[in-house]
Parts: sequence; C-alpha cells; structure tokens
Amino acid sequence: MTSDEDFLAGFMDDYFAECDEHLSAMRRLLLVLDDGLNGGELDPSCLDDLFRTFHSIKGISGMVELREAEMLAHHMESYLRVLRQREAVLTKDGLDALINGVDALERTIAARRSGESTPENDRALGLLSAVTPASGAARPMPAAASASRAAANWKVTFVPSSSLVSRGVNVDSVRGRLRAAGTLVDAAPQVRPEGVAFEFLLAAELPEAVREQWREDGISTEPLGPSGDTPRGDVLRRPEEGPARTIQPSHVVRVDLTRLDELMRMIGDLVITRARMDETLKGLERHVPAVEWRPVQENSATLERQLRDLREGVVRLRLVPVSEIFSRVPFVVRDLAREFGKDVRVELRGQHTEIDKFLIERMLDPVVHLVRNAVSHGFETPAERQAAGKPPQGTLTLAAAGAGDIVVIEVSDDGRGIDAARVVARARAAGIALADGAVDDSTLLRIICSPGFSTRDESDRASGRGVGMAVVQTTIDELNGTLSLDTTPGQGTRFTIELPLTLSITDALLAVVGDRRFAVPQASVREVVEVTPGVLRRVGRHEVAPFRGGMLPIVRLSDIFGIAARPGRALHVFVIGSGSDAVGLAVDRITGQREIVVRSMTDALVDVPGVLGATDLGDGRVVLILDAAAIARSGPGGLVGAQS
Amino acid sequence: MERTLVVDDSPTIRRMVIASLRDTCVGGFSEAGSGLEAIEQLAVGPVSLVVLDLNMPDMHGLEVLRFVRKHQAFRRLPVVVLTTRGDEESRAAALAAGASLYLTKPFTPQALAGHVRSLLESAHGEHA
Repeated sequence: MTSDEDFLAGFMDDYFAECDEHLSAMRRLLLVLDDGLNGGELDPSCLDDLFRTFHSIKGISGMVELREAEMLAHHMESYLRVLRQREAVLTKDGLDALINGVDALERTIAARRSGESTPENDRALGLLSAVTPASGAARPMPAAASASRAAANWKVTFVPSSSLVSRGVNVDSVRGRLRAAGTLVDAAPQVRPEGVAFEFLLAAELPEAVREQWREDGISTEPLGPSGDTPRGDVLRRPEEGPARTIQPSHVVRVDLTRLDELMRMIGDLVITRARMDETLKGLERHVPAVEWRPVQENSATLERQLRDLREGVVRLRLVPVSEIFSRVPFVVRDLAREFGKDVRVELRGQHTEIDKFLIERMLDPVVHLVRNAVSHGFETPAERQAAGKPPQGTLTLAAAGAGDIVVIEVSDDGRGIDAARVVARARAAGIALADGAVDDSTLLRIICSPGFSTRDESDRASGRGVGMAVVQTTIDELNGTLSLDTTPGQGTRFTIELPLTLSITDALLAVVGDRRFAVPQASVREVVEVTPGVLRRVGRHEVAPFRGGMLPIVRLSDIFGIAARPGRALHVFVIGSGSDAVGLAVDRITGQREIVVRSMTDALVDVPGVLGATDLGDGRVVLILDAAAIARSGPGGLVGAQS
Repeated sequence: MERTLVVDDSPTIRRMVIASLRDTCVGGFSEAGSGLEAIEQLAVGPVSLVVLDLNMPDMHGLEVLRFVRKHQAFRRLPVVVLTTRGDEESRAAALAAGASLYLTKPFTPQALAGHVRSLLESAHGEHA
C-alpha cells in the first residue's frame, strides 16, 4: 500500500456513509421530479438539490479514486446543469436516464464496498449522453427564482458571538428554528458596527413568547410592512432553500453497525450476569434477615429496570425508517410496469416506521421481489382490468406499522389474485407432494415458497433477479419473522411480513417439557391456553383441540424432541399464528417470562429445524429457544415436514 | 491560537483536509458545512487560514470570498479555494475575488500540505 492508499483507507467508511445519504436524497428528489413530470409542477429547487448531490458524490468519489462513480456523477451533473440553465427541458427519457444513472452509481459504490469488480455502466452512461445536449458547459448559474419575498412578514437578525456559539446557538441552529417556525424566504450575512450579523426574511406567525425566547439567544425580530422588502445596504442575497435541502444535519454521529453489535453483545452478557446474580441471590435469601434483604432486592430490581432501559436505548440507536426500502419501490415499479405493459400506482404508508438497520438491509431484496412479483404476475393489463370492471390503473400498496416489539410490513396489490388451481397443477408437475382437496392461502404460500417449485417462466426472470420466493421465505425465517399470504381471485393479493424490531435480546416465555426447559419468543405467541386431555380429539394422525369455535391442531413438543409424554395431565398450549394457520404448541408447564439473550446455533450439528438458538438463563444451563413459527408451519400435516 | 477554518458541505472532505493539514496548521481546526456557517466562524474566532469549497448549498464559495474580502480585517487572510475538478472555469473568478490559492479536488494529502505550507511561508514573509 502506498501512503496515499493508507490515507484513503481511513476514510472509506465516511465515504460510504456519505454516499448513502446522497443516494437516498437522490431517490427522494427523483420521485419529486417524477411527480412533477406526471402533471405536477417542476420545482426548480429540486433540480438545484439534485445537481448538488451529484456534484458532492463526484467530488468525494474522485477523492477516494472511484473513477467509475465519479464519471457517472459527472455525467448526471452535466445533464442537471443543462436543465438548470434551461437549455433543455426534463423529459421522461431524461428522468429514465437519471434513474438508470443513480442505479448504476449505487451498484458501483456497493461493488467497491464489498470488494467486487465494478459493474458495467456503459448503458447508463449512454442513456445520459443521449439526453444531454452538446453544449452543457459550466457557466455561472443564473440565480434561481427567489421564493416570494412579498410573503415575508418578519425581519429576523442574529448576531453570532463566541459565547452563543459555545451554547450551541449558531447560524445553523437559528436557521433551523426559523424554518420550524415558518417559511424562510431569504438569508444573508451583513456587516454592522458590532460585527457580522445574519439577516433573515421570514414568513411566519410569531407569538410574543417565541420572540421573547429568541431575544435571549441574540435573535431580534422586526415586523415588516406588507411589501416584505426593507431597504438594505450592499449585502449579498441568496434565495433560501426549503428544509428538504438539509441533507446533513449536524449533531449526527456515524457509527459502524459492527460497533453497535458489539455493544449489544456486551449488554447481552450483562443480562446473563444479572440473571446469574439473581439465581445466587435466591439461594441467599433465606440466610439474610428480611430487613437487610429488602434493599438488596430493591437494588436488584432497579438494576434489572436500568438494564432494560439501556438495552432499549441501544436498540433505538440501531433503528432506521423503513423508507430506506420503500423509497426504492416506485422506481422498480416504474421500470417493470412499462416492460410488462401494466399501469400501476404505488401507495406508501407508514414510511417512518423504524426497524433495525440490519433487518432493513436483509429485507430489501425480499420486499423488492414481492413487488416485482406483483407487477409482473399480480396486476392485469389496463385492458384486462377494464374488462373486469376495475379501474385501468392498479394500486400497489406498501405499508409498515410497528406494534410493540414487532414490525409489520405489507405488500398488497389489487390485481388478479393467485390462481390456486394453476399453482397446484404446477406444483404437481414439479413433483411436490400435495394432499387432495381445497388449498387454503397458507398451503398456497408453502407451495410457492418451496424450493422445488419452479418459477421459471418468462416473466419470472424479471421477477427473479436470483431471488425466488423460497429465498424470501428463508430470509424472513432467518430474521425470526413470519410471512403470510392472503389472496382473493379477481381482487388481489396481500403478503404480510412480521419481523421482530431487533434481534439478539428478546422477551420469552419459559416452559418445561419433562425435565427439559425451552424458551419461546413472546412475539410469536398469540395466546396461552390450557387444554384438558378430555377435549382432545384425533383427526387422522393429528390431535386437535376445540378453540374459538374451530379446531386448533396441537403439536406436542414432547413428540418433536422425543421426551416421554405424561398422559392424563392438562396441557399448556402456546397458540402460534392466527386464523386457519393457528397451531397449538403443547408443553407441560409454563414457568415464567424472561428477557433472554439469543445466541444463534452456529454449529451445523445442532442446526435443528425449529430451534432458533440457545440461551443461558443465569444458572449455567443452556435452554433451547424454539422457532415457534417454523414448528407451526411444519406442524401437523405440514408440507415441509421437517420434524417428521 | 489561530485556527484553520475548513469549509465544505461534505464531512468526508472536511475530515480529509484536516488530516492532510494536521502537521502544517498547528493551531487546530474549525469546520463549517455552509457559507453562512463559514462567515459565522470567521466572525467569532481568530482564523489564520481558510480552506474553502465553492459549490455549497446556501451561499456559493465565491460569494463567501467576496464578502470576506470586503472587510479590512480579512483582506490579508489566506484563503485556499479547493474545488472539484471540472470547475476550472471558476479559477479566474476565484482569483479575481481574492483567492490566495486555487486548488482542485481530488487532491493528495502531500500536495495540499505542500501548497498550503508555501502559502503560509510567503504570507509570513510579507508580514515580516
């Protein structure tokens, strides 16, 4: 390594982090432009912002010697320059070229990050060249149209000082306050006898209380007449940008995810140590007088609570909005809809729902796969839809919502629904054994997610990109999540993904079967019921119990793990899954609820289906953590039959 | 101690500039991510050198430079314009606006430090 390479190596993490920010800003801005092209108005400030993100990526890519990224960014910057100079008008082809370019840029940066060779960018560069007129030479930008100065009703002046700056009151934070209060129309520095001052023109309602508070921070306000303009000296004026332009909020610390993993692991150790201490204390209790025992117990309880707060704090650090996935979807849909002659509108809901960064990264491909499936298979063509009495434009909805420790992501379409008969026929042709009779949604899902279910017709190559439904299911399983399907012929299909908010530490219910102890993550348990042996019935090879007016198939853990059953005793049953998917997981006793640290089973010899990992409850004995959802899926009469 | 002010909207570039100049500019560093912040930093603390990017969100670097040069206190302040390659058209404009030195990104740490060192030496020479 040369000294330059050494120098650069120290900045690669910063580079990738900054690229991520620019790329997500680009995607957001391209969506705004897309909306603008589809009948809305093109916001010139959007072009400015996009230009700047390309310019920034070009600059930093040059620094880290990623020439391909520099080149792509340069071409996009040139096109944007032409647009900003009004030498060309943004067209659909132009937007396509930009979308392709951003895609290529992202792939190029990702390839460098993972140490792979740079992908081919000729097509993206070709598209960009085709839309960029020859001139495109850099020349000073004409000042963008200023936001309506007439709207301003306040002149706000801030005189910075080192004491204010040291208190965190600086031009940037003041600007942030003004933006929160109203519309910032203009900002300019000015020299006064007392030093430099910043003058802002603001359109806002400013109650006296707010102005009073601002005064204390060196911010003075002066109402403006209706014209909105006051005579000023020879000062520079720049149109102020909207809040969207702030790509880089200050006070943000970037941390490598592995460091947070390490922190989480340390907290996991603490949780186990505390559990051990708890065990030790239990043994001491009878030897210590009650009056001295109470503070020990109180401190132990406080420690537990504080530890939980600490853990929740670290979990929060890792959360990012699900929009990191959702914001990509409109582009995927746009390209694919055109390719397949579909007309699809994308609706995003709950984009601000937060989820663990690690989960986000792993979920991107599965969600995109479901979206591709929906566009290529799910939706009918506009003509077909009209013939079926539907609006010609289909709606693809991505929704996310948090519920306690779980995040639910839904991908739904109002297309034709899954043709169960066709799926069954194909499954049989592919040699997948199926029971006779009607196929419900959960069986349908099991079929389309089974690895042997070939999905290699023409449209699937587009959907595929190497990720089949089997991979979608496997990925969700690995993340301790669940996937369910709900499809109605003629009306549409909905995939629902439930994921834990985070991995590694979770609340679990503890149970005993024979002399073995198990932990079941609480998030996967819908309900706990007691079943007396008298009500159990046999249906074929399986036991069922009456439950909520229907029958609940019962899976005995004692059967799965070959533990001697205790006939005649009441069973305690964890209800896993809902509706027709519900399965009861029967144990002898439920002994409590605990915060557990999930250690994954890395040894292939103990990689047992149905087991998520192991945990240490503090007494040194290892307890298996059950993958309740997998057991339920493979439960009585299951297609997979992993436990048979 | 007089500090070196590094102005760039990219935090990565700011870190790179600071790492490159650590041995050359011993008075420490302050950073600004926008033109207005740069002017604020100049107003509140003694600054002995500015490394200035041109393309920034709120105020173009040239405007910052023109603003700075209008004031007696900053007439002689060394200002290094450090802008992305390809904006060379702005070289003449930057020098006309009062840039002491015009350099382009990408830069190597050695080259940046070398240019800044000679600039500081000649500036001291003038004062002497």
